[in-house]
Amino acid sequence: MSEKNRIEVVYALPREQALLELQVPPGTTVAEAIRVSGILQAHPDIDLARNKFGIFGKLTQADAVLRDRDRIEIYRPLRADPKEARRKRAAEGKIMKKGGGETAA
Amino acid sequence: MIASMLIAIGSLTAIGIALGTILGAAARYFAVKESPLEEELKAMMPGSQCGQCGFVGCAQYAAALAKGEAPITLCAPGGKVLIESLSQKLGVAADLSGLEEKGPEHAFIIEDLCIGCTRCIRECSTDAIMGANKLMHTIIVEACHGCSKCVPVCPTDAIMMVPVKVTLRNWHWPKPEVENTHTEPGVVHAH
Repeated sequence: MSEKNRIEVVYALPREQALLELQVPPGTTVAEAIRVSGILQAHPDIDLARNKFGIFGKLTQADAVLRDRDRIEIYRPLRADPKEARRKRAAEGKIMKKGGGETAA
Repeated sequence: MIASMLIAIGSLTAIGIALGTILGAAARYFAVKESPLEEELKAMMPGSQCGQCGFVGCAQYAAALAKGEAPITLCAPGGKVLIESLSQKLGVAADLSGLEEKGPEHAFIIEDLCIGCTRCIRECSTDAIMGANKLMHTIIVEACHGCSKCVPVCPTDAIMMVPVKVTLRNWHWPKPEVENTHTEPGVVHAH
């Protein structure tokens, strides 16, 4: 085990993605790492009370303790309403992709 | 006189046979196997295991390349840059004429269509899509290998492939005639 955990903090916009690597001591929480990373200063549009965040696609709490090589992701809300989008696709008569073409491995 | 001549011929022949045998044996027993080349080729691959070349993954394609069983132009994410380095490595001439119009690409999410279903995230082999359930998904361009596996799984057709912006790292000196015939206004080609 290394003394420090190597983690990443990511905030992504369509045209520009901020991917910050940093090393934090073991026991650091998600909120602490976000604060230390300086991403809030670089992107003032992030509001931690409003923007949800998680690790590798899974939402987490601010006091969750980080593990080595975690990637903290700060998410943005959807712009489309999924239900409305589905209703619209159905109205247009588009064939719904069931399971999105997924095949069981 | 004849005897000394024969001795000279005989001894030189003997030395020749002996050294030849040693060299032949050495070539057989100390032969470097094909695998180092295969390893090197594998290291040159994008490593996203996208399967667009028709092989199971990058290692299998590298193995086929090392044996000379596959053309060097099959790797779509690697693009022209990879083809050129492969052709240098293997000493095979590459036919780039058919590939000219399509440079390296990365995925791009149309935000108005994304419904946050996470299907593309599960499909991505390089963790290049960040997002969570019912939250906006975004491509991390730096990590995207352009394998386009996420495009067909999107239920709202919100993902499209766009050309990679030219940077100092992937810029390629364009050939004059290619530049004239293939440059369209407003389209950035990363050759």
